[in-house]
Amino acid sequence: MSAAPYWPFLVYTAMVFILVAGMVIVSSLLGTRHRQRVTGEAYESGMPPTGSARLRLSIKFFLIAILFVIFDLELVFIFAWAISIHELGWPGFWGMLVFVFILAAALVYEWRMGSLDWTERAIERRLGERREAMAKRWKEAEEA
Amino acid sequence: MILLWLIAIPLIGGILAWTAERWSTTAPRWIALAATAVPLVLALTLWDGDPGDFWLAEFETSWIPAAGIDFYLAADGLGLLMVLLTFFLGVLSVGISWNTVPSRPGFFYFNLLLILAGTTGVFTALDLFLFFFCWELMVLPMYFIIGIWGHENRNYAAIKFFIFTQASGLLLLIAILGLHYAHAAETGVQTFRYGELLGTELAPGLGMGLMLGFFVAFAVKLPAFPFHTWLADAHTEAPTAGSLILAGLLLKTGGYGLVRFVVPLFPEESAAFAPVAMALGAIGILYGAKLAFAQTDLKRLIAYTSVSHMGFVLVGVFAWNAWAVQGVVVQMIAHGLSTGALFILAGGIQDRLHTRDLNAMGGFWPQAPCMAALALFFAMASLGLPGLGNFVGEFLILLGSFQVNVVATVLAALGLVGATVYSLWIIQRVFHGEPRESKGLTDLSLREITILGVLAAGLLGLGLYPKPVLHMSEPTVRALHETAPPPGAALATGQPENPVAHAVPPNERVPTDP
Amino acid sequence: MTPSDLQALLPHIVVAATAVAVMLVISFYRNQTVSAVLTVAGLFAAAACLPFVWSAEADAVPPLFRVDPFGCFHIGLLLTASVAVTVFSHSYLEKYRMERGEFYILLLLSVLGALVLTVADHFISFFLGLELLSVSLYVMVAYIFTKKRAVEAGVKYLFLAAATSAFLLFGMALIYAELGTMAFPEIAAELGGGDGLRSPYLLAGTVLVVAGAGFKLSVVPFHMWTPDIYQGAPAPVTAFLATVSKACVVVVLLRFLAAFDSDAVPGLYLALTVVACASMLTGNLLALLQDNIKRILAYSSIAHFGYLLVAFVAGGPAGAMAATFYLVTYFAATLVAFGVVAYLSPSDREADTVADYRGLFWSRPGPAALLSLALFSLVGLPLTGGFMGKFFLVGAGAEARLWTLLLVLAVSSAISIYYYLRVVVAMYSSIEDTPQTRELSEPFAATPPYGNTVGAVQALLALGLLVLGLYPQPVLAMIQSVTRTF
Repeated sequence: MSAAPYWPFLVYTAMVFILVAGMVIVSSLLGTRHRQRVTGEAYESGMPPTGSARLRLSIKFFLIAILFVIFDLELVFIFAWAISIHELGWPGFWGMLVFVFILAAALVYEWRMGSLDWTERAIERRLGERREAMAKRWKEAEEA
Repeated sequence: MILLWLIAIPLIGGILAWTAERWSTTAPRWIALAATAVPLVLALTLWDGDPGDFWLAEFETSWIPAAGIDFYLAADGLGLLMVLLTFFLGVLSVGISWNTVPSRPGFFYFNLLLILAGTTGVFTALDLFLFFFCWELMVLPMYFIIGIWGHENRNYAAIKFFIFTQASGLLLLIAILGLHYAHAAETGVQTFRYGELLGTELAPGLGMGLMLGFFVAFAVKLPAFPFHTWLADAHTEAPTAGSLILAGLLLKTGGYGLVRFVVPLFPEESAAFAPVAMALGAIGILYGAKLAFAQTDLKRLIAYTSVSHMGFVLVGVFAWNAWAVQGVVVQMIAHGLSTGALFILAGGIQDRLHTRDLNAMGGFWPQAPCMAALALFFAMASLGLPGLGNFVGEFLILLGSFQVNVVATVLAALGLVGATVYSLWIIQRVFHGEPRESKGLTDLSLREITILGVLAAGLLGLGLYPKPVLHMSEPTVRALHETAPPPGAALATGQPENPVAHAVPPNERVPTDP
Repeated sequence: MTPSDLQALLPHIVVAATAVAVMLVISFYRNQTVSAVLTVAGLFAAAACLPFVWSAEADAVPPLFRVDPFGCFHIGLLLTASVAVTVFSHSYLEKYRMERGEFYILLLLSVLGALVLTVADHFISFFLGLELLSVSLYVMVAYIFTKKRAVEAGVKYLFLAAATSAFLLFGMALIYAELGTMAFPEIAAELGGGDGLRSPYLLAGTVLVVAGAGFKLSVVPFHMWTPDIYQGAPAPVTAFLATVSKACVVVVLLRFLAAFDSDAVPGLYLALTVVACASMLTGNLLALLQDNIKRILAYSSIAHFGYLLVAFVAGGPAGAMAATFYLVTYFAATLVAFGVVAYLSPSDREADTVADYRGLFWSRPGPAALLSLALFSLVGLPLTGGFMGKFFLVGAGAEARLWTLLLVLAVSSAISIYYYLRVVVAMYSSIEDTPQTRELSEPFAATPPYGNTVGAVQALLALGLLVLGLYPQPVLAMIQSVTRTF
């Protein structure tokens, strides 16, 4: 196989680099520079900012986000199945049923692990339960 | 079937001895004694057979047919002699370690018996895979014996021993497999049988490479110059029974391998290699003698005498005529007895004085007359006094090799002078001269005297009446010469077997003439 | 998907179902023993399916999988090893006060990945299996997150394995771009024309795929991760890494390379030869410098897979047979060795320095004897399976006349004796030689007496090693029958 069909690709790559480098270089050559008291602020010439830009979000949001992403991704497979449902027929249906069952099992696991608990009280209660159970088991183990 | 028992009894005895350790500290040694004495008696029953009738005993069963491996044991005269030596020294080594094993006697005897089983396998296996299996089997227990019950520098010595033998063992493995596949490519038969591998046609370069693989493995065990460096450490650090087994048996497996495998399997390559090998042998004789003379450590000194003595074996094997090969057999047995005895004496001195340093010894004769007298006897054997076994062996080897390679023979004969020097040197340094501090030096116990007496009787018998031994090994030598004709035979017109036929009468004459 | 396809994939289905079952059980009843027992039961059930699979016709479930007797044999091997790892993990995790049940889900998933790899006949299934195996392993390596080293090892493994996956994918893409297929048989057919790796893309692709596999096998020059991760990971996970996660890649690589005729692509085989030599020498030489048993075993595994590559280069049924048999013996020895380390480790650290093992034979003869046996098998001493393994390996090499490789093998295994013996020497050195009597007694005081399940499993493995060393005929005949197709 010769390299001939690839030359537009190479040209394209080169152009990307030239363009980006050109924009950076040209703007650094032509741009004006000044260094004054408020230059570095978020809204130069506007309202002075108050407080920190770093907001503290509860870890729960991230947890939910991750869970969402996981289940959302699984949805992709279901879409793919839905499109070709006629070709796949009943075996495809059973396969998808197994798949959904596994997803459901994972959801059950998350629920029981307390990943879906939202209020402080619910979390505290579940953690307490688990700590107690653990302590009990270890006590038993030590006695045995 | 007897051969299987010869291997199985030490193995079973070893396991019993190990387990018996839990209940009693004395039981293991009685078990070990039984497990060496019974096979000795069993092996002696084979002595009645006619050695010309191949084989004296055979045992065969399928083992790993998928790879063409059989469990095939067979003993001819040579094998039987070596097996007898194995169990003879086995009994003595149990006796010599009777109450000197400081800890874990059961494990000690387990290892000892495992070595004996492996050695018996080496001397009787006629399937090359089985041979290699037993060959490797000897190494590990010896490692443990040196490494656990040895003297102060034992770990170094044990590891050195192990690495030398393992590395050479792998070369042997490669060579065995190379031969196996060369044979399979030629005939289409997958086999490791010695009898069938004999006479395999090999490409010249390949044949030489495979021969060297075998040769190096056996030369390391023998040990031949320049592969001898492990020997001094291993011998020096091993406990007395270990040194006895090492000198008496493990070194012999090297000589046996050269006689049984290297030359018959690769006759042309060996003939081409013979000058080099004989030169190495002669160098070993002189160099070993010189090193022995320079030692101040008693056991080290004796160890180097082994290098010197085993040089004769190398010269004899590659001379490859009937005299020389018969001499090799006698030399191996005689060396096993005489050097073993010297190690027992050195071990006895060390047990009493807790030193092996010759500078700390001297003038022990009055205090330990029995020890001194026996030491003198074995030193005389070692220097090749006519009437003792070593003389017969060395004389026959020189007689044979003179017809093949005069220069090497002359050099080897010079080694006898060296032997005289170092043997007398031992007596001179230890028993004569200024009396040194010798607190705790007691004379030999009855047990030790018995053991050494048996060894002395053996040497004397071998020296005065070697005919039974020669008669035993003669058919083997003849058979080996049929597959690999001796160097003169190719030239002698039409009578390739004559040297053997003539071999016996001079053998009878020579040694009985002190 | 036909019923016969399902039948062919029964072991996989059973393992996957067990993972889900363990997860559900943990949700409602958290008890590590229950999880472990369920895991073992699932693995046994999967193994019990093997006879049905074996009888299924060859080439089942194309194009992704090829469930042939060769794959079945390896499935059995992997399942056995996984059972051992599960048992070791159970006793190991008992020492830690943390949530332990999830470990078994991860274990089952990575076993599933490994099982997929053993029957993979297509780049897709190859990659799927590899990822399933790796992703679970990242977490398993870092499972004891209270230990710094474990987390460090987990992160390292994550980065390196992810990078390797990228290489692997790139290689697959290149091959696909050139040949237009990702199925091994079709690649073999395409390459059967005799002009070998006719284009640089194909060569680059093959090299990248082999490099990706080489990372998992930790052969030089892809070996850098091995010692750190072996050392940092919990000992049972290390056992898993050293055995299961390598064997399945060996199987894929054997299948993949079977497509290449050694005469057609001399460059590839030359590269394999160089890699084999480098692995044998590097592994054995660097192991000499280590004071940590897990690191010693890590370097030794580098060397052992160098030995194994000799069989790859030899090729043919003899090579595949030797490689498979060697794997079996290596499995048994490695599992016993890491099992002893796992068993002896107290909860605050791993019992992994050589000094920890001083005088072990006199204080704890059972574990010491097992570890010695395992080490002797790794050295290749007779009576142990390692001897037979090395024998057949050298046999395959001798048949293919690879004298250079065999010489390197001989020299490097002679070197290897030294570091194995260091451990043995430590175990058999008498107690009066040891100044650190505190270190001697402390790690072992905490461990329960031998004679529990772990002891039984290790004794069985050790017995297997001895049987392989003394009477390998049944196993050998079986392996010969399954590798006939190569």
